[in-house]
Amino acid sequence: MTWQGNLLHIHIAPAASYEMEELAEAQLIAGRGIVGDRYYLGTGTYSPKPDVREVTLIEIEVLEAIANGEPKIPGFKRSLAPEDHRRNLTTRGVPLNHLTGKRFRVGETILRAARMNFPCKYIEELLGMPGLYEGLLNRSGLNCSIEVGGVIRPGDPIVPMDE
Amino acid sequence: MGSPRIIMKLIVAGIHDEPGDVRVIELKHQRKPLLPTFEPGSHVDVHLPDGKVRQYSLCGDPEDLSRYTIAVKRESSGRGGSAWIYDQVTPGAELPVSAPRNHFPLKESGGPVLLLAGGIGITPILAMARVLCRQGKPFELHYFARSRSLAPLLRTLEESIGAKSLRLHFDDQVDTLQDIEGLLSTRPSGAQLYYCGPLGFMAAVARVSEHWPDGTVHFEAFQPPVQDDTAPEPFTIVLRNGTVVPVPADRSALSAIRAAGVLLMASCENGVCGTCECGYLEGQPIHRDAVLSNDARSHRFIPCVSRATGVLKLDL
Repeated sequence: MTWQGNLLHIHIAPAASYEMEELAEAQLIAGRGIVGDRYYLGTGTYSPKPDVREVTLIEIEVLEAIANGEPKIPGFKRSLAPEDHRRNLTTRGVPLNHLTGKRFRVGETILRAARMNFPCKYIEELLGMPGLYEGLLNRSGLNCSIEVGGVIRPGDPIVPMDE
Repeated sequence: MGSPRIIMKLIVAGIHDEPGDVRVIELKHQRKPLLPTFEPGSHVDVHLPDGKVRQYSLCGDPEDLSRYTIAVKRESSGRGGSAWIYDQVTPGAELPVSAPRNHFPLKESGGPVLLLAGGIGITPILAMARVLCRQGKPFELHYFARSRSLAPLLRTLEESIGAKSLRLHFDDQVDTLQDIEGLLSTRPSGAQLYYCGPLGFMAAVARVSEHWPDGTVHFEAFQPPVQDDTAPEPFTIVLRNGTVVPVPADRSALSAIRAAGVLLMASCENGVCGTCECGYLEGQPIHRDAVLSNDARSHRFIPCVSRATGVLKLDL
């Protein structure tokens, strides 16, 4: 599959429930996470549960669909800003759902997609947005490990490695 | 279960002192012009550097979302949170603060509203009075303090709601004294009562409003009522999936449940905020919280402070 996308936003939060903060550049550490993020620091909601969460990604295309009211969810008509979805990286042009088990480059770093992210009711309550859980089912992004660390910035190209 | 709230790193935009060892702190967002909306009666959780969390009522105007205003009384005999904030927080400092939560909402009602505040208990009552005043609803606010010179937020109160609805009662001014038993002996038709203040005040108002019907009396406590001094006994919790969780005498139900692997949010761990609230299905709980209404006590449970005799089956 041939595709090429890029990185739009980088967000981190220092601990569970804290507002996400946008970064102009971020340091990715192989096998650990993004410097300053809750899953790098071990202070995330799911930190006590072992899983791959070094970096999480979501497609801007999903946020655009939600803003357009697709799909229609009874009682739910809201838009989700990049700082609200609680994933670390917002991408454009990257088919995240197709990448499980594969490696890809973000700027100078290499990520390996471990599993599709599954939305949680927690975010619905945190943001006071009932219906968001359903709105993110099957498209709430990707959980990745970091194989090669480095510095990333918004605008960096995202390209496939394993065909 | 209490729902999680987003935590914002707010900046201390202003500090001024009020009578009675009270410091008023104004908080603003670093990037956003408007903070999340709140209703009168709401409080925020302030996260302290040592990991403790303290609740403070928002006493500012709910229509002004450019800032949150809290008032902190320096309690040297307290658990240390307020003393830390009073002594250490300076203008420009960053404080992690949750989005507001409301356990003390004004009920929709057409009848008169009676607001009773003792000392620093004026904080949620002030926000309520601001809104009632703006809506033109009938209300009376009785503010009890040791003396005029020790009454926090008195000037703000007088400026915000005017003299018409305000009744001031100072221990050192005999002509202002009010017998609360007399005040509450007859309930005006359709009236709702709201009160907040220190322990003795809470106990006194609770006692003299006992004859008011269920659902007409609302309060917020800063700490649970003085508890019986019987030593905690061990008991057993059973979870919905059948897991048996023993709770030793020296441990809270909350910590035992967490140790058993259940993710349960908590905040004050003092029985006043309601974050860890859960349901119970069977058993005899010993309620030691200051959150649940009498109705809720038949099926809800606050595991950070409450206990049980024998076996308690939780809806977790």
